Amino acid sequence: MAAELEINEQESTIKYAGFTFLKIDYLDNLDVEKVQYYSAVIIDGNDPDFVRQIVRRIRAHNSPDIYLKPVFLLKGTNIVDPVINKLVDGTLYSLEQIELITPEVERILTKTQDLHFTNSLSFEAQMIEKIICFMYTCEIQDLEPIPYIYSANNYSYPILSINFSQKDEHLALDILEIAEEEGIFSSTYVDRVYLCPSCQSGHMTYREVCPKCNSSNSRTEDIIHHFPCAYVGPLSDFTNEIDDQLDCPKCNKRLRHIGVDYDKPSVLHECIACSHKFQDFNVKAKCLFCATDSFVEQLKGREIRNYSLTKKGQLAAIKGFINTSKDIEEIIGTVKYETFVTMLKYEIERLRQTEGASNICAIHLSNPSQIYSKIGSEVQKSLLKDLVKVIRSNIRTSDIISFQSSSTILLSMNEIPRKISIRILEEIITMLQRLIKTAFKDIEVEFEYEVIKLDYKLSPQLHIQQLTKSFS
Amino acid sequence: MFDELLDNYLRFLESLTVGHFIRLFWFYIFFEFIRYFVLEFFVLNLWRLTKVFGKKKHLKARKDFLFEYPLVSIIIPGKNEGKHLYKLIRSLNEQTYKNIEIIVVDDGSDDETPIIGRDLEKAGLIDLFLRNEVRGGKASGANLALRYAKGKFIVHLDADCSYDRDAMEKIIIPFYKDQHVAGVGGNVMVRNYDEGLATTLQAIEYYDTISIGRVVTSYLGIYRIISGAFGAFRADALEQVKGWDIGPGLDGDITVKLRKLGYKIKFEQEAVCLTSAPNTFKKLTKQRLRWDKSLIRFRIRKHRDVLIPNQSFNFLNFFAFMENITYNLVLNFKWYIYLIDMVANYPSQLINILITNILLYTVTNFVKFVIYSLYRIRSNTSYTYFLIYIPCMVFYFGYYLRIVRTIAYFQEFFFKRSYKDPWNPQKTSAHAKRMNL
Repeated sequence: MAAELEINEQESTIKYAGFTFLKIDYLDNLDVEKVQYYSAVIIDGNDPDFVRQIVRRIRAHNSPDIYLKPVFLLKGTNIVDPVINKLVDGTLYSLEQIELITPEVERILTKTQDLHFTNSLSFEAQMIEKIICFMYTCEIQDLEPIPYIYSANNYSYPILSINFSQKDEHLALDILEIAEEEGIFSSTYVDRVYLCPSCQSGHMTYREVCPKCNSSNSRTEDIIHHFPCAYVGPLSDFTNEIDDQLDCPKCNKRLRHIGVDYDKPSVLHECIACSHKFQDFNVKAKCLFCATDSFVEQLKGREIRNYSLTKKGQLAAIKGFINTSKDIEEIIGTVKYETFVTMLKYEIERLRQTEGASNICAIHLSNPSQIYSKIGSEVQKSLLKDLVKVIRSNIRTSDIISFQSSSTILLSMNEIPRKISIRILEEIITMLQRLIKTAFKDIEVEFEYEVIKLDYKLSPQLHIQQLTKSFS
Repeated sequence: MFDELLDNYLRFLESLTVGHFIRLFWFYIFFEFIRYFVLEFFVLNLWRLTKVFGKKKHLKARKDFLFEYPLVSIIIPGKNEGKHLYKLIRSLNEQTYKNIEIIVVDDGSDDETPIIGRDLEKAGLIDLFLRNEVRGGKASGANLALRYAKGKFIVHLDADCSYDRDAMEKIIIPFYKDQHVAGVGGNVMVRNYDEGLATTLQAIEYYDTISIGRVVTSYLGIYRIISGAFGAFRADALEQVKGWDIGPGLDGDITVKLRKLGYKIKFEQEAVCLTSAPNTFKKLTKQRLRWDKSLIRFRIRKHRDVLIPNQSFNFLNFFAFMENITYNLVLNFKWYIYLIDMVANYPSQLINILITNILLYTVTNFVKFVIYSLYRIRSNTSYTYFLIYIPCMVFYFGYYLRIVRTIAYFQEFFFKRSYKDPWNPQKTSAHAKRMNL
């Protein structure tokens, strides 16, 4: 007997064969956190931009409960976007076809169960873990670069590149290089791209320019050599106003036959802007992002490679990707995330009996990829150490600090009113901003924070989800 | 054997009377000694006097020149000259006169010249680098540069040369002394004078024929060849003659073309250029064969109208041509007549006549070299360095160069060999030959 299709238009949910699907058909007020509570997502839209945004918000999310969720497209017309097509798990043309996708949903969800996630502090490690987990659940062996107009590198590695803004997309190439060094991937050469030396964008406009004034406005003329009298000059010297014939301005003879009485040994360009005459243009590349005009020799050449998951990579996905040489070891003054969750559990249990007031707080770096791309992993480590030092000096010794990720710091502040916790956090943020300003002059760090009171009715995981859901 | 020869020679000298001396050494006395020593020395002194009295005029010309501060276009055409370019450009960037533009033309080089040229252009060390992918010959290279030159004066240089710091300034001043001057030749010296016998002898030759000889011809108004290594021209005059015609020998040709328009040509001894002379006699022979052929091709054929009295007849041009033809062509053959005269009439005295001739020329060369050193602007090393080589000059000038010249004249006169010279591409030489250019 066929399963029954239940559609709840108000809640935009669909139930079928024991799976609950979240149907997204508009962007406003979309709470992507909700995705984790469903078996899969169906995006209903014909507008490529709308679909791209939804897919991006799901796949770029930090939580594996969200970014690994099966995503399907419900569409009336074809959306030809190679990256979107790589990031969705299937397409259906009407909800009646839902039975066709349920095996895929089941397969992905089952494979997700195999995975084990670690909370590495290293941004690079987090990204690598994300790629290999996605590849494992989708049973993808190769991470292929796709020529893509919306990619700042001109090539997109969909599940990786989607985590970056166009400005930072070059970091995807660095991360893949690290993964290859760690033996997660093996690679083969595909192409070479040239990136802006200033902002690393590959979107350039190439122009032949005047070597003197850099103007691309020029005219070109053939040079003619008249053999009998050795006169050499531009074609315009030889033209006359009466007919189309060419006459030598030196000896007045008519030019008859190329190679016999004259030839064209070269060409000459004249810049219309500055009248400079030259034979060799300079080739310059103007970045469409930052408008930097560079000589092509200055462009940064990067190899685009096809990455295949190795055996070690597959195992790393299942066991959890622990670290890379770029990873950051535990920072003094903090506890591991798993320990933090356990301690939180005990605190919630204690509150159930004592009815005290405890809080958990989170400090979040809003633009981690921008920061870490600029400073490198060594400085990243020292930055995190400094942040912890500042936080530690402003809280009690009994309070606990942990990293959920390299961009999110969690704090457990027990037996303290929420108001005071907020005030302490505000002071910490001000001090952190001051620290960043003094230590890293070129870097602008944006902090967000959240404080919630512990509720003994909720699990530690739900507390943490609530705490971090508002962070961008 | 030697004693016998010496004894015989001394007896020959004892028996010489004035009449006998003139009869036996008429060639030396009438053609060489009078023209190349007496007359030259006389004119040199006149020139020195004019220079002393013309100092004010010179200073005014210099002042006018520097006040006007015209753009001087330096053009350097050549093939496979890239290796010389850096040294040349360095000497040009050191010039005291700064308002210059440098145009290098690469005439179809097949070495690294295009890369070097483009690099120099990119670095801003030269203003324009033009490359013809197909070789067109030196004249076409010079004409291409001329077409894009913007200066009031055009200075033609050879890439294997370098220049005194004030050379550009010095070569332009004569244009401000006399407005009828359209071309000025620079003083070319041999840079590699110490590389071997061939270059040392050429250095001495250049001191004599260029540093001194051209002062004399310039003073007399019969200076007839502005060396391609260093020559300055008024741009408007070059425009009138439409630039250079097909070579070889285009340096002399353009000078004649300017003279035919009534312009004056001057030599400036103080504008010094150092050139690399051929370092073997084989290379030197090749160079001289090419140079000497141009006398027949340009003076006797292309510009023979200078010798014919007509509307545009000019006595100075006629005299310059006649002097050139007489001393280089006629006397070259007259020397063979002298030789035949001696062999026919004094066969028993041939050895003594030969020894005396060698002694006469050597002594003259020594005296000239020492005295003329007072009239030269400078030498690139101590004059004493060259003194031990002076005895070789009689063989170099009197025999080696004379024989080369004779061969060149024959080759050109009877076989028009200059049109087959690989120095110029065949595609252009074929046209020049057909049109008798």
